[in-house]
Amino acid sequence: MVKRNFFSVTVFIAVLLAGTEMRGQQPSIYKVDRMSFNQSGFSEISPFIVKDGLIYCSDKRFSIIKDRTAFDGRRLYNIYITEMQDSSGWKKPREINGERNSLFNNGPFSITQDGKTVYLTSEIETGPAAKKKNFKNHNGIFVGELNGTSLINLRPFKYNSPEYDVGQPSVSSDGKFLFFASNMPGGSGGSDLYVCTFENSDWSAPVNLGSGINSAGAENFPYYHSSGRLFFTSDRAGGLGKLDIYSTTMTKGKWDDPVLMPEPINSASDDFGLVADGDLQKGYFTSNRDKSDDIYRFVSTIIRKATCDTLIENSYCYRFVEENMAKYDTVPFLYTWRFGDGQEANGVIVEHCYAGPGTYTVQLDVLNLITKEVSLNEKTETLVVTKVEQAYISGPDSINAGQRINLNADETNLPGWKIGQYYWNFGDETIAVGNKVDKTFTKPGTYNIQLIVSTEPEPGTSGRETCVSKNIVVFNKP
Amino acid sequence: MKVDKSKYCYTILFFLLGFFNAGNVDAQAVPGKDENIPFLVTFGKDGKTSWGDPDFNEIFFFTILKDYNKPFYIRVFDPDCGGANDEIQGNYNSKFLFSVYGGKGVDPDKNEDSKGLEKGTNFKTGNLLASKVFGSEAKYDNKFYTFGPFNPSEGDYNEKWNSYIFKITCEGISGDDGNLYKFFLSRDPNNNLPVEGANAFTYKYTFRMWNDFKSVAHIYPYVDTGVVFIKQSNFDWDNDGKILVVSKYKQGIEVPISNEDKWATSNITIEPAEANSSLDFQFHKRQDDLVKNNNVAVTLKNQRGDALKFFSSPIGGVPVYSPKANIIKIAPKK
Repeated sequence: MVKRNFFSVTVFIAVLLAGTEMRGQQPSIYKVDRMSFNQSGFSEISPFIVKDGLIYCSDKRFSIIKDRTAFDGRRLYNIYITEMQDSSGWKKPREINGERNSLFNNGPFSITQDGKTVYLTSEIETGPAAKKKNFKNHNGIFVGELNGTSLINLRPFKYNSPEYDVGQPSVSSDGKFLFFASNMPGGSGGSDLYVCTFENSDWSAPVNLGSGINSAGAENFPYYHSSGRLFFTSDRAGGLGKLDIYSTTMTKGKWDDPVLMPEPINSASDDFGLVADGDLQKGYFTSNRDKSDDIYRFVSTIIRKATCDTLIENSYCYRFVEENMAKYDTVPFLYTWRFGDGQEANGVIVEHCYAGPGTYTVQLDVLNLITKEVSLNEKTETLVVTKVEQAYISGPDSINAGQRINLNADETNLPGWKIGQYYWNFGDETIAVGNKVDKTFTKPGTYNIQLIVSTEPEPGTSGRETCVSKNIVVFNKP
Repeated sequence: MKVDKSKYCYTILFFLLGFFNAGNVDAQAVPGKDENIPFLVTFGKDGKTSWGDPDFNEIFFFTILKDYNKPFYIRVFDPDCGGANDEIQGNYNSKFLFSVYGGKGVDPDKNEDSKGLEKGTNFKTGNLLASKVFGSEAKYDNKFYTFGPFNPSEGDYNEKWNSYIFKITCEGISGDDGNLYKFFLSRDPNNNLPVEGANAFTYKYTFRMWNDFKSVAHIYPYVDTGVVFIKQSNFDWDNDGKILVVSKYKQGIEVPISNEDKWATSNITIEPAEANSSLDFQFHKRQDDLVKNNNVAVTLKNQRGDALKFFSSPIGGVPVYSPKANIIKIAPKK
């Protein structure tokens, strides 16, 4: 199997060697489309979302008459920015200029949230040695500033080495962590993912992310999302083919087992370098599914409401208060509440739970303990006990990982609604449709389940829709 | 023209009260019908306060609506001290001075001394319209003595109540016996016929309790606006049962009761909803051991130290507690 070296230079070669492998289709929760600014015959890779657009790498020609290649004839990757023109189109890409542009491969990269500091992959050796035949240059990370469309003040990252590759940086949104890939000695095989922590005004020594993430294969293209989710690429076994994109999050200081991103983000071809917007509903990645490396956009087709009412547990329990006397010493009186369901209780303040909805006549009897006089029905109230008018999720509050559970919407109380669909979003990027559904959560955590109930559309109307959510806590198997 | 709304409201209130009382053949009785108090009581000045009278006098005020312009009478039932009803201490040897006052100086809203609340103050204010000393005289025993006629305009005009104020006092000027008696305001010298819109009040109520277990005595202080709490003081209750304070807002607040020859005091919070209405102080007799011939005195002051009026016919009617049931949905019980 061809091992793809992602340290910028050899991407194109690897793409050419990549085969195709189809797997059985699963219901898709993402829609992907190829970006219009991709140029056939050239590579566009490693997008990075910036305000109003994308920065990415490409080895495209500069013009018909001008091209830039390495000594061995390979075209050099450089960095471009393109802005969104409208919802589907992009403006003509502009080059990000820098002192290394014509000389070396540049990218992938990462930019701090303030848009000023750039962490850039490029080649380390800049002297004559780099032009020698058979010289193997290594990649490193360079830190600089982005001034408009110019990269300035580039300086090497302190952990670059002439002995191995360091690259594909991803800086956390708070600037405290720098993830990157490296084939430095001591890894699990191929390249591994590492992280440095910014402390005491300097980056700490790289820490390997561990065997839970780093496999015997090659892990590359880390992308640390502001939500705390780490996306990366691996060629490990178990994927959809060649390079695949995985994601993981940290739980109690430990990375969870990586989860393979579903089709069509992953394909039988190489898929890598995923970035996403703040709510993970859309983003970009690179794939060579159409022969050359191109940038694709993905959009989640999962319906997940930004605002969704929290499930109100149906309660048939009430507190009965003789409000005036609740403030005072009521020793001279005995208050007896008759709840209208055959039960009663004594006290100025009492609580009672009914078995279910209904109309109950609540009566308050008062015995004057001094005169022994009884005031029957001193107060009578009609209490209508109803279910809350809402979509309703019936299911456990907590379960163990791997435990199959049944969820249903049977208790939904939406008078007058002709319900057409029950749509479940389980909070783990899986969905289901139906009044009764089964679900197995494989990983511990707290999942916010949304149940979206909609009416059958009627002619001339857009229908009605409501959303209710409930948390389910999934524990590790005991 | 500027309308004095408060005056108008009070006038209406009294008018309604008067209308209500018009059907009451006992007229403006003191104690009132709703009070269910058998007698007022005053001891001769040589009596002991432990017998239930802290100052050996009783002061009541009558209000006659300004629009009422016919003569009226104040009738005293059993004014003598001897024979029926009264409380003998050895031999009847006591004398009691009943006096009726009108004119300036009577209105307690304008003359604090007129209330007679503080010991040593001269409550004999105003113009003395009539007076009479009673001893042990069979002629008046268990019978009426009538003061009057009085012209309503002889009273001390009170603008707030739109009424002329008269005062009747009973002083135990000698002896140590207890004189038990009642007052009636009447438009007739020989019968108790009510005066429309009239009422009676006092600031310190000294009265006799019933000699049975079941009868409950009531007094009805009027709570004016701005009252936040009242300080109740009851005297010589002799641990005879319980005192409950009832209003349209209170089902029954128990207040501390006094022992022999003692005052017991406590504060009672007044809710905003209780303003401009009457409270009902209920005096429930002890049920296990009958206390006989129990005389008690009660006073009330608001947070400013102003004494509250006890009306014989409660302003706004007898307060009836109105329960407020609140039913609140709570979280389901797991």
